[in-house]
Amino acid sequence: MFVNFFRSGLSRRRFLSSAATLSGIGVLGATLPRKVFAQDQVVRVGFLAPLTGPVAAWGKPGLDGCMIWAEWINEAGGIDIGGEKHRVEFIPYDDEYDPAKARAGATKLIREDGVKFIMMLGGDPWPGVQPVAERTGMLFSTLLPSDLSPDTTTLIAPAEVHPIYNVTGVEWLAETRPDLKTAVICAQDDALGLPSVATYLAAFEAAGIEMLEAPILFDPATTDFAPVVTRMLARNPQIVCLDTCYADYVHPICEQLFQQGYEGQILSCTADFYEQIIEKTSKEFMEGFVFQFPDFDDPELNADFINFQEPNRFYEEYAQRFPGQWGAVSWEYASIMDLWKAAVEKAGSAEPDAVLAAMTEGGTAPHAFGEARWWGRDLFGIDNALVGNWPVIAIEDGKARIKAFRSIPDWYDKHGELLKKHMAAYNQLWDQRS
Amino acid sequence: MIDLIAQTGLNALYAAAYLSLVAVGLVLIFGVMGIVNFAHGELFMLGAYVVVALYAGGQVPYLAVVAIGLAFVGVVGLLMEWTMFRPLRDNPLGGLVASIGFLMILQALVSMGFGVRMAHVPPFTQDVIAFSDRVRLPVQRLIVIGAAVVLLGALWLFLKRTRFGWALRASAQDREAAALQGISINQTARIAMFIGAALAGVAGALTAPLISVNPHMGHSVIVAAFIVIIVGGVGSLEGAVIAAVAYAFIHTIVTTFWDGVIADIVGLSLMLLVLIVKPTGLFGTADRA
Repeated sequence: MFVNFFRSGLSRRRFLSSAATLSGIGVLGATLPRKVFAQDQVVRVGFLAPLTGPVAAWGKPGLDGCMIWAEWINEAGGIDIGGEKHRVEFIPYDDEYDPAKARAGATKLIREDGVKFIMMLGGDPWPGVQPVAERTGMLFSTLLPSDLSPDTTTLIAPAEVHPIYNVTGVEWLAETRPDLKTAVICAQDDALGLPSVATYLAAFEAAGIEMLEAPILFDPATTDFAPVVTRMLARNPQIVCLDTCYADYVHPICEQLFQQGYEGQILSCTADFYEQIIEKTSKEFMEGFVFQFPDFDDPELNADFINFQEPNRFYEEYAQRFPGQWGAVSWEYASIMDLWKAAVEKAGSAEPDAVLAAMTEGGTAPHAFGEARWWGRDLFGIDNALVGNWPVIAIEDGKARIKAFRSIPDWYDKHGELLKKHMAAYNQLWDQRS
Repeated sequence: MIDLIAQTGLNALYAAAYLSLVAVGLVLIFGVMGIVNFAHGELFMLGAYVVVALYAGGQVPYLAVVAIGLAFVGVVGLLMEWTMFRPLRDNPLGGLVASIGFLMILQALVSMGFGVRMAHVPPFTQDVIAFSDRVRLPVQRLIVIGAAVVLLGALWLFLKRTRFGWALRASAQDREAAALQGISINQTARIAMFIGAALAGVAGALTAPLISVNPHMGHSVIVAAFIVIIVGGVGSLEGAVIAAVAYAFIHTIVTTFWDGVIADIVGLSLMLLVLIVKPTGLFGTADRA
């Protein structure tokens, strides 16, 4: 058409028809969603976590949250990398909380899918993945900073410093309920349970709360918790601490506490699906239950220092798509993605080393619950854990409510030696772990 | 201290009740068919998911759902016998491998249907019989204990007082001799499989409101059941019941007074001790060991 246009000269009719065609193309281009153009390029992120099995409650809800996050980001045009917009795509891999499967998954995600970043739950699967991380230099994140060590500089714990934040719940409880002076604790005997036990022991000691007996450890395959609860209640404790028990344990333990007549304070790291616990016990029984993970419809999360995009809307969207599935990790992986996105855009590259450098520049970074600093050399041998404030939650009239934000570094500055002592006693310092 | 001992006894009774149901079913299947059914834990899980589907999800009365769970899982057992164990009757290893494959299929089907996360089962009742402040027996647990006594008593009567029961015992003692006496091996296999599966299913249905219901819940139950039948004597129903009671009491007492992890070690040590001292198990016979 354009050849003919110039060859035959410009008539009024030809000019008008050609101008109409060109403007039509222009209008069509302008009316198409901009994201179509932005999505020509894709940056892939691996999601390597338990999506089935007993630990799936700390993997699958996080993937669901990430899907919402990706949808929002892609609708807004994607991620800006060096001036070009990229669509984000998550590639999930179910590691079933198994080191061998996690290793196979990490290899597949890197070699076949070409991901630029891999998020993990961490814990037992991490030793399987560690050699892959060291060999490839891939950037990994974990929710469990106990995975950190100086051997793997590309592993970061940017969302939560499990189990260190548990100190905030004990500290808050000791201040608001100074009458509570005795406690017992139970935990599953695994990579999640033991460092958490050490942390609670340090926090209780710092708060002047006496442990009535040594922590009661149970096999992760336990199904009947009546003997464990009977043992705990035999000492008439004022506080029963459920450590970092999985939801599969927290629910039956609470039910047993209820049925065996316990009326004291309960403290736990998580209370996933607490509405179901209330249904199994009673609203009165669960009143004042203290834990560490908020519902994101909490008005306190609208404060200026919160670095999470529209937490209330995120919760609403999540609840609509996955009714009754909101849990401790529903927001965490998405918050890691916020941090990663900011670092990618700052670095102008999605390559792991550039992103890590941008993320840790200046020693601080925006955490979901406020500005935080990269920390952890004392406990993990490397400053790859992002630590700042953490919320304390209590159940009031059947609903989880944020009662306070407490500073983890402030607690550590005062009681760090206690934490190190108890971590060492449970062989949980980085140089004690094999 | 008295309260603690009494509460521990009640806890152990409950554990013995549901473990007996599972272990007796497993023994019955092995005794009559000579097959180690590794999918038995998943039959327990299926019973629990019947409760999830009909009681938690469908508002059907709980006790009716328990009866449905018994029948449904019994029918699944019949299907297993017909499709897997009968064609592999002369190949015990084949039956074992097939049961392992079937357990994976069941786990996958339940995961697809109900999700991988723990399923919520509301309490059937929150009533508790309080003997004192620290000695309490929830009615839900009492129902499990009572149901186990009734069902195992009925099974004992069935085996001792009915022609079908005699046929089952005869097949368990010597399958070829029983066949020569005109006993249908196919029929006894069907009956054994139905009863064995139904007992596992009803145990799962009864305990569903008290434990975490998830697609992988059968694993821990089957481990305990294998310890019980090895200690009791593979093929001995009486041995399974007595060993289940002994194991439940020892495990519960050790958990309460020492540690849950040590309790598992004690349970496995008990099994090893029996294997060393009396390889046939406490009540087993040499031809089944």
